[in-house]
Amino acid sequence: MNKEIEKLLFNPIRLKTVSFLMTVETCNFKALLEVTGSSKGNLSVQLKKLNEAGLIKIDKYFQKSYPTTDYSITNEGKNSFEEFFKQLGSLKE
Amino acid sequence: MTKEEQLIIINDAISQTKNNLKPLGFNLVFWGILINFMSLFHYLFPEIVQFSYYSSAIYWVSIPMLGMVYTTYFNIKSGIKIGYETQLDRVIRIIWGVFGFCWIFIVGISLSQNVVPTQDVLFLLGAVLLMTGIIIKFRWITIGGIGLLIFTVYTYYNPTLNLLIVNAIGISFGMLIPGLSLYFQKKHE
Repeated sequence: MNKEIEKLLFNPIRLKTVSFLMTVETCNFKALLEVTGSSKGNLSVQLKKLNEAGLIKIDKYFQKSYPTTDYSITNEGKNSFEEFFKQLGSLKE
Repeated sequence: MTKEEQLIIINDAISQTKNNLKPLGFNLVFWGILINFMSLFHYLFPEIVQFSYYSSAIYWVSIPMLGMVYTTYFNIKSGIKIGYETQLDRVIRIIWGVFGFCWIFIVGISLSQNVVPTQDVLFLLGAVLLMTGIIIKFRWITIGGIGLLIFTVYTYYNPTLNLLIVNAIGISFGMLIPGLSLYFQKKHE
């Protein structure tokens, strides 16, 4: 597995985010704040890192003139997470 | 962070996803009440609904259209409030979106052919309810869908039945009662 991805998922907020996004189609920033229990600023930074690594997709658009952002996991993110999870399972055994 | 801690984090994050089926329950109850009210109003006051050649068609198209606008608005609003959409939510949204499209199609064809669309719409509704019930694993909606399908088939063999009463009975047992049961259940995750 890619060491950079492994390092990226070593952070609890990033790991929580990717784990949660694995179970949903899309979600908004507020839902991620609740799931991670992180501060807005910190979460934004972590999301940016995940996006730059190609693990998550960020869609920004306007809904009734209000800026809205949706987050979803990419195929690369799914594969990386599955590999990471397998590794965790095998190490545990 | 140890491997065990990582597994706990993953488990916690995944367990926070809940399939919130309350909005679906609200939708079923809303449509159950609306269609029942419309059917009974039409049955009790035919002179008002059928005052002209096209008035009943306008009555049965315009009010459900307004209902569609309202439920679409409600679903968008509740989606924003919940903050995420699961795969199950997406499947349900697509199924009911296709139902809405098919409903418009059936009503359009019926109007052009000058036939009453009640049985066709009820059959389609029964099929969609059955699919929904099986997908969300909710027994009462599955039973409601099966019941509605059987009831609709029965009405095809009994053309003398009043279709407005058929509509009210079918919607009550297929949609309203299962919808209430889904809406008031405490937990469905």
